[in-house]
Amino acid sequence: MLKKRLIPCLFLKNGFLVRSERFTNHQYLGNALHQVERFNAWAVDELIYIDITSDDSYDVGRDDLKIKSEDGALGILEVVAKGCFMPLTFGGRINTVQDISDRVKRGADKVTINSQALRTPDFITESARIFGSQCIIVSIDVATNANGEYEVMSSGGKMPTGKKPVDWAKDAEKLGAGEIFLNSVDRDGTGKGYDLALIKEVADALSIPVIACGGVGQFEDFGLALRDGHADAAAAGNIFHFTELSAKKARKTLIKMGLNVRN
Amino acid sequence: MVHYCSKCVYPNSSAVPLGFNENMVCTGCQVSEQRIDIDWNARLERIKKIADEYRVADGSNYDCIIPVSGGKDSWFQTYFVKEVLNLNPLLVTYNGNNYMDVGLRNLRKMREVFGCDHIFFSPNIDLLKKLNRLCFKKMGDMNWHAHCGIFTYPVVAAVQHKVPLIFWGEHGYLDLGGMFSLDDLVEMTAKFRLEHAQRGFDWFDMIDEGENIRAGDLIWARYPTDDQLEEVDIRGIYLGNYVEWDANKQTKEMIEKYGFEVAPEPFERTYRTMSNLDDMHENGIHDYLKFIKFGYGRCSDHCTKDIRLGLMSREQAIEKVRAMDHIKPRDLLRWLAYVEMSEDEFDEIADSFRDPRVWTKTSDGLWEKDNIWGGRSAYPVPKLTSNSSAVPHSLIGV
Repeated sequence: MLKKRLIPCLFLKNGFLVRSERFTNHQYLGNALHQVERFNAWAVDELIYIDITSDDSYDVGRDDLKIKSEDGALGILEVVAKGCFMPLTFGGRINTVQDISDRVKRGADKVTINSQALRTPDFITESARIFGSQCIIVSIDVATNANGEYEVMSSGGKMPTGKKPVDWAKDAEKLGAGEIFLNSVDRDGTGKGYDLALIKEVADALSIPVIACGGVGQFEDFGLALRDGHADAAAAGNIFHFTELSAKKARKTLIKMGLNVRN
Repeated sequence: MVHYCSKCVYPNSSAVPLGFNENMVCTGCQVSEQRIDIDWNARLERIKKIADEYRVADGSNYDCIIPVSGGKDSWFQTYFVKEVLNLNPLLVTYNGNNYMDVGLRNLRKMREVFGCDHIFFSPNIDLLKKLNRLCFKKMGDMNWHAHCGIFTYPVVAAVQHKVPLIFWGEHGYLDLGGMFSLDDLVEMTAKFRLEHAQRGFDWFDMIDEGENIRAGDLIWARYPTDDQLEEVDIRGIYLGNYVEWDANKQTKEMIEKYGFEVAPEPFERTYRTMSNLDDMHENGIHDYLKFIKFGYGRCSDHCTKDIRLGLMSREQAIEKVRAMDHIKPRDLLRWLAYVEMSEDEFDEIADSFRDPRVWTKTSDGLWEKDNIWGGRSAYPVPKLTSNSSAVPHSLIGV
């Protein structure tokens, strides 16, 4: 039986790690590499980096630091992959097979694709054929629309697509996705807990793993996504940055809740 | 290209990383505005509850550790922990050997006014001189030892004494740059110490043949391991998440109630006389190097804080910044004598750290940058040693 996974998610914007809130407010947390050292030390199950840069500027910032910033997502990936001892997913701004190839070559085990999969669903199939489904995570951002219904959003949570999350997730599975990364624009960075109804609806409809993200405010939330939301993996961005030994303590919480996670 | 926050006086080249919204308001100002909506009474109840969890009922150990420099925030933290939370703290100080007279008087007075035990840890002075020189050359900051000592030694003491709870003051990067939300209740981490307080440099980066620094000289600079942190279950809480922080108000209270002293003479680089009394170079050359690197200084920091507290307009702030941010301070003379360096060498090394996002060199060899009041100006570097100005008395090493 597969163990449930706990996955820190690192959002990169213009070359820096950021704290994200509702996909719009981004606060700079620092360099992309320092936090990886901590996650290595805490032996987390996996790591997901998502480059949410919307322009092409990679500010390398101050240059009186020991670790110099890399000017570009691929440079960051290359350095991160060298020091990363866990399975590494690198996503964001992926539009072509070449983009995936560039990331895999630099040490990514998996990639997430989002807007391009919505624009050209066949991209999922083509990528899965070349790199294998295990490499292709389809990332789905969901917001509640004016009618109070869940709707898939593209382009960093900004563009409504008219698609229902569960339908799109099922399509993605059929087209060859290996996993679904399900994030909630409304919950992102709020600390109000996961949208468990959304997670359950999608997870129950699929046979491929669903990674839940968005809204974690306390470590118990991870357990709720796994137990009540039926997710296969619980991910979060912000909370891992807030306290010392966060991922270790989160895992302890899951064990206490009786969930089948790695010791 | 440098641009500035539309509310405070911070540039995007700030040492503390800033984001800007569509109105060009920086993340520091955005987070500062959260204060209005926070239920501070609920936060107070929350911290009282935490205090109750950690109080050692049988008096067999200290309830908590407070890292103190003896400054205004140290006084407020100690007052709050003793009088409001009713805990028995152990005060811990890293002594970087840069105290101003008034700062040391304030620190010594704490044991008396607050009735607390106090550890005053002082590394060997020869090593401190070496670290001053080495780190100035390595990262353009002579005070790395102080950042390291302040964020390392109290945690080491907490592990040694098996006291899990540490009370820090404000989270500097949250306060200045809005790194986190006040709702995150962020706690102190080894990552923050290494990446932000110490710029990524740890004790082992300081082992140096040229300066003859060996591992055995840096025992105090080793942060506890994860296993040690886990064993004692160390938790570093920032009081700034639980108290509506207002340094001006708090300092006034500490002066009136307990006899805290501010600086007897004004600083050259800021109008505030209540800050950074524990280290004569903090408001001096340490901060001057921030101007050399990023084009702004302590006066901008203090103005930004006071704008956010509603005590100053942006226009008033800009006048102050214009008068003070660039000043080359006279504590440089103490430092040059302390580490045996010439002013020319100092200037040359300092120039090597000028941030290309901020500075360009004119054809006359002058350094030029954008001004917050508009336009671009050259900032000639005066020589302080040539006009024989004496070291101000209050800055002579203690």
